[in-house]
Amino acid sequence: MSNPRQASSASQTPHLSPAELSYLYTSLSLPKGPIRPDGRSPTQFRPLTAETDILPGTNGSARIGFADGTQAIVGVKAEVEKTVLASDILQQDVENDLQAPSDRRDGAESTPSAAAGGHGSWVQMSIEIPGFRDDDALPVFLSEMMRESLVGSVTDAGKGRDTEMAGGLKGRLVINKRWHWRLYIDVLLLSQPLSYPLPLLSLTTHLALLSTKLPKLKSQGEEDPFFDDDWGVAEHLYPRPSPSASATSSQIRPPVTLLVISVGDNVIFDPNREEISVADAVLAISITRNSEGQGLKLLSIRTIDPPSRLTQPGVPNSENLSTMAATGNSDNAAAANPSAGQEEVPGVWRPRRGGIKRSVITELTRTVLKKGGVGEEVLEGLEGVEV
Amino acid sequence: MAITILAPVVEDVRQDDSHAPHGYADQSMSEDSDSDVEMGGVSLSQKRRPRDSNNLATGIMTPGEVVTDDPQWMRGHGTYTNPLSTSIIATVAGHIEKVNKLISVRPLRARYTPEIGDLVVGRIVEVQSRRWKVDVAAPLLAQLPLSAINLPGGILRRRTSADELQIRTFFSEGDLVVAEVQSVHQDGSASLHTRSLKYGKLRNGVFLAVTGTGGSGASSSKPKKSGSSLARDWGVVRSRRQVWTQQTASGGADVDIILGVNGYIWISKHVEGTDAASSASENVSITRMEEMVSSSIYSSQNDEISPQTRHEISRLSQCIQVLVQNGVRVEMETVQAAYEASLQVDLEVGDDEDELSEEGRDYLEGNKASRLIELVEQRWAKQEKIE
Repeated sequence: MSNPRQASSASQTPHLSPAELSYLYTSLSLPKGPIRPDGRSPTQFRPLTAETDILPGTNGSARIGFADGTQAIVGVKAEVEKTVLASDILQQDVENDLQAPSDRRDGAESTPSAAAGGHGSWVQMSIEIPGFRDDDALPVFLSEMMRESLVGSVTDAGKGRDTEMAGGLKGRLVINKRWHWRLYIDVLLLSQPLSYPLPLLSLTTHLALLSTKLPKLKSQGEEDPFFDDDWGVAEHLYPRPSPSASATSSQIRPPVTLLVISVGDNVIFDPNREEISVADAVLAISITRNSEGQGLKLLSIRTIDPPSRLTQPGVPNSENLSTMAATGNSDNAAAANPSAGQEEVPGVWRPRRGGIKRSVITELTRTVLKKGGVGEEVLEGLEGVEV
Repeated sequence: MAITILAPVVEDVRQDDSHAPHGYADQSMSEDSDSDVEMGGVSLSQKRRPRDSNNLATGIMTPGEVVTDDPQWMRGHGTYTNPLSTSIIATVAGHIEKVNKLISVRPLRARYTPEIGDLVVGRIVEVQSRRWKVDVAAPLLAQLPLSAINLPGGILRRRTSADELQIRTFFSEGDLVVAEVQSVHQDGSASLHTRSLKYGKLRNGVFLAVTGTGGSGASSSKPKKSGSSLARDWGVVRSRRQVWTQQTASGGADVDIILGVNGYIWISKHVEGTDAASSASENVSITRMEEMVSSSIYSSQNDEISPQTRHEISRLSQCIQVLVQNGVRVEMETVQAAYEASLQVDLEVGDDEDELSEEGRDYLEGNKASRLIELVEQRWAKQEKIE
C-alpha cells in the first residue's frame, strides 16, 4: 500500500503497528550496541553483487544487486556539445548570463574558467524508480543529491597530479574552449524500492562512472574535436593510474553517498526499510578520497525527511479504553484521545519529532572518516571490483 | 569488513547446450554471418529445453513455455492447451508435477488461498463501521467483523453501539492480529475470527513475511522420502503445530513463534499471562478468567524485553529467512533444526577466528547461510533414518 502522500519521505513506509515500532526502536537504541532485526552490526552493509560493462551501447555501465533482490542498472552516455559560454565570454561584457551564475561568482578573474573549469550542468542524471513518475519528488531529489556531490568533488586544483583531473569531473569534460562533453547518467532501479534506494543507486553510479570510457581525442588545441575510431584506445573518464606511478590508491574516483540513520545515540549504516521507519534522523553522507589519495574528504551531509513522524502512536495501557474496561472505569472520556499523554511510557511508541543531537553528528562523521572506518572500507570494497 | 561485494553468479548454460539438438554454436554463427531480419526468427525457434525420457521438459518452467507435445498427457493445474494442438503450455513459473498421466505445474510462489480453519497472521489495513479489513496475503482482503472478536469484559457480553464507536480501540490500522479463518466466501475472500484466547493483537516481537506457495496445495503433501523432500514446498505449510514456544540459548527467555499459513510470521517474547491467570486464581470461573486475560488482549504496550531475548528473536527470524532463501519449507521441525544449527555455526566460527569476526558475527545471511543449510539437511537426513 504505497501512500502517494508519503512518496517524498524516506521511503514508502510499511504500515507497522505501534508495538512493532516500539520493539524496533528499543532494540536499535540499546546503549550497548543496537540489535538489528537481521543481526548485522551497526556498520555492516548487506552483501551485494556487482559487475560492470554490461551494456554494450553505453560509454560505461554497471549493475549492483543486493541480497534482498533489489537491483539497479546505470548507464553513462557521453555526447560532444558546443560550449555556448565560450562565445559569450569572448564578448567579456555579458555578466548577467543566467546559465552560469555559479561560475561567475568570483568576478572578472573567472571569465576564462567557465570554459576551462567546466560547468555543473554538463552532467545530467535521471533516475527511474518503478511506481514513480520522473517528476516525482523522490527521483528528482535523489538525482540532484547524487549529481551535486559528483560535480562538487575535487574542486581543489590537485597539484602534482595529472592535469586531466585537475578540475574534477567538470574539468575532465572540457575538450577545448569551444567544445565539451555532456554526460548523461541514467539510473534504473529494476525492482520495487524495498528500502530507500540511495546507497544502491550511488554505489552503482560510482562503478558505472569508473568503467566509462571516452574516445581518444585526435585533434589538438582549439580545433573542432576529432576522435580516434578505435574503441580499444579509448580513455577512461576517470583516468587509471599509470603503472609506473605509485601503484595503490592514487586513482581519483567518483564520490559515494552513504545512507545513515540515527536511533537514540546509535548510528546505523545501510538501514533497511523497517529500520528507517523508526529513525530519529535520516542522513545522506557523500565522501570521496582526498586528492592526494590519502584519507577521506566529506563532501556533504544532507538530512532526509524521516518517515517515523507519520507513524501511528501507541496507546499505553493506562489510557487504553479496552484494557480499562476490565477494571471497570471505562467511562473515562480523556482516554479517548490517544495523543493526550505527553510523557514517554516505556514500551509504547511515540512518533519521533525529528532533530539530531550534536554528539551523534560528531560520532557519525568520526565513524565514516576515521582511518579504517566505514568510508574507507566501502571505498576499498568498491576498488576491489573489476572494472 | 563493513561491506562484502561479490561477483555475479552466472547459471551455467553449457549443460543445456549438449542436450539441445541445435546448440548455441550454430546460432552464434548465423548471427555473425546473416542479416538482422533472419536472425530473430532462427534463434527463437531453436531454443528448446532438454527433454527427459517421457518427452517432458525439465527444470523450472516459465509461463508460456511448452511442457510437452506428446498427446498422451492430460493437462492439470497451471497449464493450458491450445484447442488446435496437443501441446501443453505452462501458465505459471514452477516445477512440473505428474500424477499418472496428469501434468500440472506447481508455482514457485503464489498468493495464499484461504481455507477454513487456517491460522493466519494479518495486518489491519482498513477500519469500517462494523468490521476490519485485514491483509492476509490473499488476493482479496479478509474481513474481521466486530462480532467475531472477544470483547473486553467477558465473552458473554453483548455487542453494543458503544463498541461500534470505539472500534479503533480494539484494532486500528497497522495492527497485527493472529486469527483463524472462519469461512471462505464465493469470491475466495475470507472471514476471520479471534474468538479464542490464543488469538488477538500481537506485541512484544517482530514480524516477518516469507514468500512461497503459502497453504495452497501444500496441505496434502507429506514430506516424500526422497532426497529433495526438504526443498519441495516453499514457505510455510499447514502442519500440526504452527504455534509453539521455543526455548532459547545464551540467556534468552522463552520465545513464541507463530507461523501463519499465509506466510506471515510473528516471533515474540513469551508472556506468562495466560498461564499466570489460570494458575493464580484456580477457583475463578471460566468467564472470569476470560475477563482477566482480556485486559491485556488489546494492549499495544510492550513488556520489558531483555537484550539477550532480543538477540535470540533476531537469530530466529534470520534462521527463517535463510530457510526461505534456500527453498526449505518452514515448519516447526525445520525452524528448530535451523536454530540449533545456527548455534553450532557460531561455535565453529568462534573456534576458527575469534576476534576477527567479532564485527557483525550475528549476521547469518551472508557466508554462514550455506553452512547452516548444510547442517539442517544433515539433521533432517538423520531424522528420516530414525523414522
